[in-house]
Amino acid sequence: MSVASINPARSMLQRAAKGGVGMDKILESGRVRGFITSLPLMTLLVGFLVIPLTYIVWGSFEGSQLSFGHYSRIFASGTNLNILLYTLRIGLIVTIFSLAIAYPVAYLLTKIGSRSFTAISIFVLVPLFTAFLIRTYAWMLILGREGVINNTLIWLGIISAPLQLLNTTFAVIVGMTHVFIPMAIFTMYSSMVRIDYEVTRAAQILGATPVQSFLRIYFPMSLPGVFSAGILIFISALGFYITPAMLGGPGDTMISILIVSQMTTLLNFELGYATAVVLLLVTIGILFVASLFIPLEMIWSSSDSNLSDVSPRAGARFFRTVKSALNPILVLAETVAHATTKPLLTRNGRWLWGYTIIILVFLTAPLVVVFIISFSSSPFVVFPPPGFSLRWWEKLASATDWQQSFLFSLQLGTAASVIATTVGTMGAFWLVRTKFVFKKALFLFSLSPLMVPVVIVATSLYVFEARLQLLGSFFGLTMGHVLLAVPYVIVVMAAALRNFDQSLEPAAAVHGARPLQVLRFITLPILKPALVTAGLLAFLTSFDELLVSVFLLGRQTPTLPIKFWGDIRYQIDPLLSAASTFIVFLVAVFIVTAQVMRNRHNARTSTRVVG
Amino acid sequence: MSTSLEMKNIQKFYGPLHVVKDFDLHVQPGEFLTFLGPSGSGKTTALKMIAGFETPSSGDIYLDRRSIVDLPSYERRIGMVFQNYALFPHMTVGENVAFPLTVRKATQSDILEKVGRALSLVKMDQYVGRYPNQLSGGQQQRIALARAIVFNPSILLMDEPLGALDRNLRDHMKMEIMRIQKELNMTVVFVTHDQDEALTMSDRIAVIDEGRVVQVDDSKSLYRKPTNRFVASFVGESNLIPCRVECVENGRANIIVAGVQSRVAQLSGQASGDAGWLFIRPEHIDICPQGQGSHVHNSLEGVIEKTLFLGEMTRYLVRCGGETITVKQQNRGQAHLPGGTPVTIRWMPQDCTVLN
Repeated sequence: MSVASINPARSMLQRAAKGGVGMDKILESGRVRGFITSLPLMTLLVGFLVIPLTYIVWGSFEGSQLSFGHYSRIFASGTNLNILLYTLRIGLIVTIFSLAIAYPVAYLLTKIGSRSFTAISIFVLVPLFTAFLIRTYAWMLILGREGVINNTLIWLGIISAPLQLLNTTFAVIVGMTHVFIPMAIFTMYSSMVRIDYEVTRAAQILGATPVQSFLRIYFPMSLPGVFSAGILIFISALGFYITPAMLGGPGDTMISILIVSQMTTLLNFELGYATAVVLLLVTIGILFVASLFIPLEMIWSSSDSNLSDVSPRAGARFFRTVKSALNPILVLAETVAHATTKPLLTRNGRWLWGYTIIILVFLTAPLVVVFIISFSSSPFVVFPPPGFSLRWWEKLASATDWQQSFLFSLQLGTAASVIATTVGTMGAFWLVRTKFVFKKALFLFSLSPLMVPVVIVATSLYVFEARLQLLGSFFGLTMGHVLLAVPYVIVVMAAALRNFDQSLEPAAAVHGARPLQVLRFITLPILKPALVTAGLLAFLTSFDELLVSVFLLGRQTPTLPIKFWGDIRYQIDPLLSAASTFIVFLVAVFIVTAQVMRNRHNARTSTRVVG
Repeated sequence: MSTSLEMKNIQKFYGPLHVVKDFDLHVQPGEFLTFLGPSGSGKTTALKMIAGFETPSSGDIYLDRRSIVDLPSYERRIGMVFQNYALFPHMTVGENVAFPLTVRKATQSDILEKVGRALSLVKMDQYVGRYPNQLSGGQQQRIALARAIVFNPSILLMDEPLGALDRNLRDHMKMEIMRIQKELNMTVVFVTHDQDEALTMSDRIAVIDEGRVVQVDDSKSLYRKPTNRFVASFVGESNLIPCRVECVENGRANIIVAGVQSRVAQLSGQASGDAGWLFIRPEHIDICPQGQGSHVHNSLEGVIEKTLFLGEMTRYLVRCGGETITVKQQNRGQAHLPGGTPVTIRWMPQDCTVLN
């Protein structure tokens, strides 16, 4: 390019910059910035969550008639009450199992070098991001009459006839625990990693045995993390739909299944609303109790608050009293535990490694079974497969209905991801950068789509969109997914923004960058890895989503999960295994790519001086 | 409470890295001994081995003539103050200080009494019910100290305990730690990279360089008679000028320094003909304009390169032949010599030593 051609270009740029002056003036005002960045998020939350929920609550007592008839019907019926109690019981059991199983793994993750950490975390991440549907399907293959477990036991001669494992409460618990363990590991890890290891050393030099230093120092310090993981799992478990519906028997109806059947088969909408409101109230109640012990925002974004800076809450003081009452038992337990574990203690934590490997096998084995069955030569799901063939992969390659669903899910996921990332990032800027009262409350509010059980979001959107004639439109479906994905974007972006070195922006401004240029050249490029993560999470949320899609789909092409869901229910063949394997593989590629991009970005931008 | 500590021929390897070498040390009962060394010198590793957080690759450690290398930390009865204090955030001050007694299953009345005594010793009695995050850095430091001494440990380890405090507080805490140590007649092993801390507080200082104890001495001997070049340069400011020993006469030697013959200096084991470094503290050198003053001492002619006025003293950088020599002079009203002045610098034979 010659000098002459550069000059006009430069003057054009200058003119453009002048045109931008008015814009810059406007953007200087913090209030205007706050308004602009908050607008999309608030519109989304109010328009697609608050109003629909209000509509449901209103409808549950038939509006202005204020009839509580539907509520009294719920509580009068023994069946309904039992379903509620059953839901709570399963939720509690699953929560306790997942926490107890995940705790040692999370603990090990805080202790090991980065290479072992990457290895373990891949084994946890892949199951974490595999759709619930696929993981549940895998358990159907394992627990079925001709499944892995029954066939193995028969082959070993331990039993002669297959056991009834599938469609039992046992299956529901195993399936749900499997689903929640990865979540428990990562939630607890993120808070445990910030416990100063020096503290347990201090305890030991001051005379505490390893058991004592764990029970009295480490464990109490890790409790907030355990507690927030517990709450997260418990409220997710209460609204869980897929796993109990597929693995449970007739007696294993959970409340979400009840709501779906009231809305879709019984067509008793008001009763469905009332049940949803009851579930909502239970959830709110749990969150309220939880807030007595820990700051709620810690549950979803543990990087927010520094644990040691939190002064003990009311609930913690209550625990203190309980603890001192239990002290003699504690002392006894310590002595016994110390005597039994002393010969087993090794410096390199061999036992912990052994345990962790068993758990990793438990987490990944179902996916391996799915993978193997996809190459089966049998028309039925049998394990081990009688022979190797690619017939199911060939069938998948020529199945146009699967391809259409796949393409549609891809479109939907991309649209939802782009919108959610934009709206969520703007919202995160607003929540982190602007100063205003009720900031914490608003942060919690913007995470509320994660707190409200999905089945309630689905039913309320269904009714609301039907009213607006949006039902069955691509836009309506996308907005449903955006609503569910936005909280993840906010959590990721808010954390990234808090770590963002804010002096960089004034530094850019001093060197002559205008507000929008600062955003374009400085802020967004630095936030790129977080944006990629957020976008990926949003995409996966939409890609795996079932319930909201079932309600909002209308006559569009079924999404991949819906296609999957429909096929599982009327026939299980290895085609589903091939499809699952394909999806898992795709998701794994996504995760690894994002991880690599992130590492490269970090290596390049790390401010540490090499040398 | 006063117990002796002995480290015998300790070695520590991390893979191929030899981080602690031939560590031999005897700490007397009631002695305040400091490990002084730059970061990465292995002093913290040595301390961790005493505490039991690391196992020596070979060698033995004795507390009160009893080997402790095979004992786990919690059976060693050692008190320790950590660099970041490592207070338990979920326990009150009282519970923190009581911790060593609680885990040893002391009776409630015993605990109350000892915690009270420890807290009053560090002057923190009124803070029993507070949580660590409600205290300032200095207060946390006191609590960490109280917690470390409450159970009457055999010896007290302190790992750079003053590093996180600001300067005034640090000076104050130095005095406090010395007072408490004297009051309880405790054996203390203190780790620091700060020579001021080491010089003020310690009975003896072990200077550590690259994993090796290079000199163990009291503050004055360490400052006046360093036995090698590392100690001379790490403790206080010093001039180290290349020199050669010419001849030796009853402990003193004539040397060549900066190209000038027949300077008199003390030796540290050199024979005639050896090359070495002449060590002189800047404050032991006199400075005056050339041609003035007597020539009884060692002297060199030079030109002032730079004059720095520091308030109570003036620092001169004097160029003598190929060497730059630092001179510090107390300001007592004598003439201020500007840069470029030709000067004579002089020092006494007993103030300079040849080091290897």
